[in-house]
Amino acid sequence: MKKLWMLAALLLLVLTAACGGGEQSSSGDGESSEDGNWQPDKNIEIVAPSGAGGGWDTTARSVGKIMEDEEIVEQSVGVVNKPGGGGAVGWSYINSTNDPHNIFVSSPPLIFVPLNGQSDLTYEDFTPLSNMIADYGAFAVAKDAKWDNLNELFEDMKEDPSSVTVVGASSPGSMDHMQFVKIAKAAGVDIKGIKYVSAQDGGALTQVLNGSADVYSTGVAETIEQVRADKIKVLGVTSEERLDGEVLSQFPTAKEQGIDATFVNWRGFFGPKDMDESAVTYYEEKFKAVSETEEFANIRDQYGWDEMYMDSEEYQKFLKEQTDELGTLLEELGLGQ
Amino acid sequence: MGALDGLMQGFQVAFSLQGILFVLIGVVTGTLIGMMPGLGPISAIAIMIPVTYGMNPSSALVMMAGVYYGAVFGGSTSSILLNAPGISGTVATSFDGYPMAQRGEAGKALAIAAISSFVGGTVSVVLLMLFAPALAQVAVSFGPPQYFALMFLGLTAISSLSEGSTVKALISATVGFMVATIGIDAQTGTNRFTFNNPNLMEGVDFLVIALGLFALAEVCFLVKNRKDQSLSKQGDIGNLRLSKQDFKEMKGPMTRQSFLGFVLGVLPGAGATIASFIGYITEKRIAKKPEEFGKGSIKGVAAPETANNAATSGAFVPLLSLGIPGSGTTAVMLGAFLVLDIQPGPLLVTDRPEVFWGIIASMYIGNVFLLILNLPLIPYIAKILKISRPMLISLVIIFSLIGVYSISFSTFDLYLLLLFGLLGYLMRLFSFPAAPFILAFILGGMMEQAFRQALTASGGSLMVLIEDPVSIALLSISVLSFIVPIIRNRVRQRADHEGTEQ
Amino acid sequence: MLKTMNQKISIFLILFASGYLYLTYNLKEYPYVPVDSDLVPKLLGYLLIGLAVLLFFDKSSETEEEKEKRKVPGKELLVLLAVGVMILAYIFLLEILGFLLATALFVFFCSWFLGYEKWKSNLLVSLIFPSVLYYLFNYLLQIRLPQGILPF
Repeated sequence: MKKLWMLAALLLLVLTAACGGGEQSSSGDGESSEDGNWQPDKNIEIVAPSGAGGGWDTTARSVGKIMEDEEIVEQSVGVVNKPGGGGAVGWSYINSTNDPHNIFVSSPPLIFVPLNGQSDLTYEDFTPLSNMIADYGAFAVAKDAKWDNLNELFEDMKEDPSSVTVVGASSPGSMDHMQFVKIAKAAGVDIKGIKYVSAQDGGALTQVLNGSADVYSTGVAETIEQVRADKIKVLGVTSEERLDGEVLSQFPTAKEQGIDATFVNWRGFFGPKDMDESAVTYYEEKFKAVSETEEFANIRDQYGWDEMYMDSEEYQKFLKEQTDELGTLLEELGLGQ
Repeated sequence: MGALDGLMQGFQVAFSLQGILFVLIGVVTGTLIGMMPGLGPISAIAIMIPVTYGMNPSSALVMMAGVYYGAVFGGSTSSILLNAPGISGTVATSFDGYPMAQRGEAGKALAIAAISSFVGGTVSVVLLMLFAPALAQVAVSFGPPQYFALMFLGLTAISSLSEGSTVKALISATVGFMVATIGIDAQTGTNRFTFNNPNLMEGVDFLVIALGLFALAEVCFLVKNRKDQSLSKQGDIGNLRLSKQDFKEMKGPMTRQSFLGFVLGVLPGAGATIASFIGYITEKRIAKKPEEFGKGSIKGVAAPETANNAATSGAFVPLLSLGIPGSGTTAVMLGAFLVLDIQPGPLLVTDRPEVFWGIIASMYIGNVFLLILNLPLIPYIAKILKISRPMLISLVIIFSLIGVYSISFSTFDLYLLLLFGLLGYLMRLFSFPAAPFILAFILGGMMEQAFRQALTASGGSLMVLIEDPVSIALLSISVLSFIVPIIRNRVRQRADHEGTEQ
Repeated sequence: MLKTMNQKISIFLILFASGYLYLTYNLKEYPYVPVDSDLVPKLLGYLLIGLAVLLFFDKSSETEEEKEKRKVPGKELLVLLAVGVMILAYIFLLEILGFLLATALFVFFCSWFLGYEKWKSNLLVSLIFPSVLYYLFNYLLQIRLPQGILPF
């Protein structure tokens, strides 16, 4: 028993020491040198609010690597994974550490998750730094399906929206579902009647190939290889204009088929709220530099991403529009909170 | 003749000096990472992706494939030695592997695991080589109704995983299923049982359950018996000699599970976990002495280890020939392909035959390397058990905690791990088996999703579940396999009863 | 009334299942699917109650072996509790002190507490083990463990 007490006393001691130490170490706010230029005074930490291997993680790691390799940033850049809550865990981490050295990568879920009531933090709780890339949605069907373009599909859906099953990887109210809803709505389909199934682990593509579902709502990159192999056909993509690339350029946009709607899967970087003006400028410059490197252009090509650089101010405006637009749609479906 | 030419090209890639070197690097890294409790193939592959930047694609992918099956190969080590399964595919291995290790036969258990992994890996590569392009159709043949039936079949295993009371086993399973319902529901986006805690929204991670219920619960028992040094004194734990009799016992499970595991691996979503469980229970069902299972049976180690490695090769079918990643691990693997500007899919075999066949051919060498590397290492690895109990307990605790931390990076999951450790300890005290809990946790979630996907597509008609011969067959087997043991028990009990009365 | 252990557990399980069922009846509705997110949890809740009732009336008493397993001397319970508290303290301190310090302290004190007496080798292990792991994770595997108050 004596041991037990000694141990307890020791732990208490360590605890008090630790708390004191903790406070001291969290004071690194970066240096604002005389002329008001913010410079990082320790390593920059990019948070990927997801596990290893996903889209956010890939973006964070490739940008981090280019920043280091091309010596765009003097300090070293580390990527930290904070998975959970569809991003919410990572966001609350940034929010609570509130350190300009900690930034994170994000995409439309930053809008969807709060709108679905799954996170209290919204984009307004962070400082948009720069947007880097744009990706677009595609709607594909099996190659022997009866529809050859979006209008034929939507004609059928206008008559009976539940005659068609749409499949995607995300849950209802998030990306794959809402990009379809947005375009279908513009085409005049009753969006409340749409049957949407969510399937993970490659299940979505499988279901379209074996006929369990009719329409595959996904990102353009996922469809290229299947189209080349003549397994599926893409009825429409959500970009403003046709995309570049041997296969990509064959995909008609929804717009050219007379449906006036687009959907962008943007991806960019954010910092904590109330960031110093000079720190924002610092990051804007660095991300612009990354975006212009040849290495990043190669990475964009590999993953089929488009360049879409926005500085902090443009980004803010863009996010506001996106939130308003998607919020209205979710509300109409009765999913908004 | 195209396929043969391609295959020759593949062998040229795999057997070039560079090919052999990268296979070696891959399998060594994979098996070492896989041995760490808590680190599985997902982390192993994700960790290696940056290494491949700028490498020759065939060499890089040959290496990445090596990392993948190497990690599965090495994953059994912590299951057997510490009862701490790091990946879901090796949970079933711990059922008999750990009792063997406790009996002082750690070396033997590891050797059985290594040999059956090798056999499962090699046989399935042959199958992969012969049938990969043809099997592509099989991989997409399962829709939600068929998956529902398959998961249902897996769940009926509960009745045969229980030693004592069937009611207790079913209670365990129900609670495990309940834990699987925590998180955002994929079909509706509804928050279920998360109490608005973002840490719970993606559900409870498998590793938290596995390390809690198995490793930490075991630690509690070790603490109680910490002065009991018998284990480390007992004989030569590193001895890996297998008798002829042992090989004879392994032969059956290894042959059957190489095929069964491969086929299950081909189905996206099913994979190594389901293959290992189904492998374990089929062997238990057909064994002459099913009562040996769970107490350190040789077959009980050989079956899941053969099956999970065979399934790993099987998982390359949808990945390579369709571009469909069937699991979280193969999704990260797909990422590794994309980084190298290789797009897996139906055209890979014609566009880049050297990559397609190179990977397959390299698996032959990889599996041989794994066997040659692992067998001599076993005596040293088994020495872990010679560490004095108090120290071993501390180290196992740290390994479990860090295993969980390295996937979630949040202390919340660590508290949760501790909670499940406590639950696991209580379950063992009151004789509730942990295996049905984890089986229902893994399969239950998938079964619910498949069920609801099928019903959404059918507009609510239950008929969709029994429209197709495959689902009917699977469901019939499940019902039979659930009922037969109960009847058999009844009959046996009655016979016993009559026996005593007379 | 509650004579056997099974009956006590059964009551606990029924309470747990009721709590779970209460939550399932308060799940948000989603109007666009034939089977909403509450159906399967509801089935599970009722199933658990049913099984708990079966357990309540389960006549098969515990075997001697099972009873033996359950007997934990009070002192041992305290030891387990202490280890539990040490783990809690470790989790709490992990992100504050950092992996290296927290792990070194935990390994040293936990092993010592459980009766590891060779303090020299204990000290050695508790310094080397975390350092090797930390190096492996942070530098070779690029998985960042908490750095804490140390500069590396």
